[in-house]
Amino acid sequence: MSVLSDQAAALAPGRRPGLWSGRRSRVLTLLGRRLIQIPVVLFVVSILTFWLIELVPGDPGRNALGQYATPAQVRAWDVSNGLTGPITGRYLHWLSDFVSGNWGTSFVYQVPSRPLVFGHLVNTLFLGLFAFVLLVPLALVLGSIQAYREGGRTDRGITIALMSLSSVPEFVIGVLLLVVFAVGLNLVPVESGAFATGDFAQRLQVTTLPAVTLAVAYLAVLARMVRTGTAGALTAQFHRTAVLKGLRPAQIVRRHVARNALIPTLQLVGIYLGTLLGGSAVVETLFNYPGLGALLVVAAERKDPVLLTDGVMITGVIALLALLLTDIGLILMDPRIRFEAGES
Amino acid sequence: MAVAITTAASAEARARPGRRRLRALLRRPTFVVSALIVLWWVGAAATWRLFGLNPYVNTGHINLAPGWHQLLGTDSLGRSVFARTLAGADTALLVGAFGCLLATVLGSALGVIAGYFRGWVDTAFMRLFDVLVVLPPLIFLIVVVEAFGASVPALIVIIGVVFAPGIARIIRAAVLAEMGKKYVTTAKVQGESAARIMARELVPNVLPTIVIQATLSLAAAILMTATLSFLGLGAQPPSPDWGLVINENRVYLESAWWSVVFPAVAVGSLVVATQLVADNLKEVWS
Repeated sequence: MSVLSDQAAALAPGRRPGLWSGRRSRVLTLLGRRLIQIPVVLFVVSILTFWLIELVPGDPGRNALGQYATPAQVRAWDVSNGLTGPITGRYLHWLSDFVSGNWGTSFVYQVPSRPLVFGHLVNTLFLGLFAFVLLVPLALVLGSIQAYREGGRTDRGITIALMSLSSVPEFVIGVLLLVVFAVGLNLVPVESGAFATGDFAQRLQVTTLPAVTLAVAYLAVLARMVRTGTAGALTAQFHRTAVLKGLRPAQIVRRHVARNALIPTLQLVGIYLGTLLGGSAVVETLFNYPGLGALLVVAAERKDPVLLTDGVMITGVIALLALLLTDIGLILMDPRIRFEAGES
Repeated sequence: MAVAITTAASAEARARPGRRRLRALLRRPTFVVSALIVLWWVGAAATWRLFGLNPYVNTGHINLAPGWHQLLGTDSLGRSVFARTLAGADTALLVGAFGCLLATVLGSALGVIAGYFRGWVDTAFMRLFDVLVVLPPLIFLIVVVEAFGASVPALIVIIGVVFAPGIARIIRAAVLAEMGKKYVTTAKVQGESAARIMARELVPNVLPTIVIQATLSLAAAILMTATLSFLGLGAQPPSPDWGLVINENRVYLESAWWSVVFPAVAVGSLVVATQLVADNLKEVWS
């Protein structure tokens, strides 16, 4: 929430009109700054992750080889997998391997980590995209209904319903949906395991319940942003001018209301695209959906440092890219926004 | 909590809006209902042992449907779902409440310090938070829990540390707004020490914000605890922890839906009720 209010504060001092010719150059400036910022942030994240995983108690060599391996064998395995020596050296070694695309082998799955991570990432993005296709139109409709009825009974009713719905844990909503649609009505399978093998129609079918579950979790916040944005636009001077000028309602909505309502919404979408990866860990585990979140949970449970580090790094990259894309979208939509130094 | 008020008269003036707010709260049906639900679960967590409930023992009937003998049925190991659901409140509230308490104390302290001193303390803190924001919180938690283990004290510390930055940010903003007011300048001119101004002047004045943030984080902390144990990273079998129970029994969804649905309703009701209490506090206070 505070991130949003900070950005809303940045929006408030409107720039003088007529100065918004350099939109493209501002996109380029932003890209240039992020080109430096993103690697720095990723570098810090990688140090943090590597150091934290280093603290993990347990012996990966022993886990991989089983209890019948001799200590010498375990030792040889540790050496060949680069698990010995001082942590700084190993970190630098890992970093150069990671950057050059040589990601090592997952201890748990015994396959190269890179195709594993990217395969699951694609599945998660498919799930997230599906959820957003369901979520965004619904949030726009609900939020604008609320804004046009601001303060009324419909407005309050929708707010309470959405707030309650959004604080229900994802796995609870998922379980209830499963009970109704998979066990009761038998419309979809209980598990999404068939995702990996089926054709597109079948994929869509098994992804529906997970996507609905994810969408429900984000509906309330998004609808609230649409409501705030629309309500703000409806009370603004320019809206009154547009009405008095005699514009048709459709024109007012399209040219004046929609644009202003979408700005805060888009900011939120960007932030949530990042968290979606984390949020989907729960949903993916519940439905046995083969996504990146579920993969990371398995990696954590079964102590697979290679898979965990690679997966966390990719999650960070995706989250940062999502933020970057949102910022570019915002600049294109709202000429007032400038990303000053120190604001991220 | 000692509120810094110099005269009895101003204490009286402060107490009155407090009582008025309490009355306003009690007139709100959503607040009353959700407060009762929270109290019910707190009561369940505190007293289930006194009623002779045993969440671990096999009753002799496996996957028994809810009925007269077993109110909410039995699970795949013949354990009473009723006893397990009540006992499950224990871990959720223990980790949630103490983790949230730690987060509130830590976050408020950091927020007040950052807001009071500004400068490099503030900057360093905010930059660190920017880095943490990049990683989805759950992914961060997965890594941290793997590193430090999933015992109850470890989970409390982890929840506390993970939730503290969010609270600190809000408290910092509230302190920044207070810093412009005359009483802070007056206290500075009087030569009060920084620690005293923070503890006796600023904290009482941002206390409503702290309470609201604490309640909001309580809901989030309970949710996070349940989520971690659902993912197998929190409580371990045979604990009756709700998240864990839901995960264990979801394979029996088709044959014994009650062993999943009742714990799910339990955790859902507790989180939603806590959230609604927080929302009501927020609306009445601002």
